Amino acid sequence: MENDMGVIVKTMARATIPFIGIFGAYVISHGHLTPGGGFQGGATVAGAGILFLVAFGLNEAKKRYDKNLYSALEGLGGLAFLGAAMLGLSVAFFYNILWRNKIAFAGHPGTLLSAGYLPIMNLAVGLKVFTGLISAMMAIALFRRWRK
Amino acid sequence: MIAPEFFYSALIIMIGAFLSVLRVLLGPTIPDRVVGVDTLNTLIVAGMVLLGAAYDRVIYIDIAIVYALLSYIGTLVIAKYLPGGLR
Repeated sequence: MENDMGVIVKTMARATIPFIGIFGAYVISHGHLTPGGGFQGGATVAGAGILFLVAFGLNEAKKRYDKNLYSALEGLGGLAFLGAAMLGLSVAFFYNILWRNKIAFAGHPGTLLSAGYLPIMNLAVGLKVFTGLISAMMAIALFRRWRK
Repeated sequence: MIAPEFFYSALIIMIGAFLSVLRVLLGPTIPDRVVGVDTLNTLIVAGMVLLGAAYDRVIYIDIAIVYALLSYIGTLVIAKYLPGGLR
């Protein structure tokens, strides 16, 4: 492989990418309790993707990147956000029926399973931001007009 | 309520950060500026941890962790770009 970095960077990336991914998942899933949320956690997980591209090179990243899968997941994130917003449409748009009627995610405020549709929306936004940023990064990295 | 020692330590960190900003501004070559920015990142992480302790908020440490991880990636990208392009 000609466009990857040295063995130190690659070994560091093998150790760091799961850590960044898990920390991003933590930021996303605790979006209603701690600073951060969908966008911040999604951007953090996308940082793991950037680290993969930088450390292992474009050829290695191209093998693991599926354009259709990432495009479908981005659309799925947007649809999940809209679906969570339309759950309480019998009362109003964005009505938090999961929390008001104690259906799901209706635990004591401050715990993980609380705040109604907010964790679902955070997960949807995190998925959308992650897949969108990775798609944009791969599109820019594959854009090679100035050299054959 | 708030321990003033952490504010004094953050002030010392800020002086060091100012010195590294000076290196970023005055650095004759580009690698000098990159090393200055890397030092500044580390000092900012230290400052964030100290201010999180000074304001007695545990959740501020999360931001310091995210900043440490992403600044490492940023320095790595510049280090990959500098020797002669990304390819």
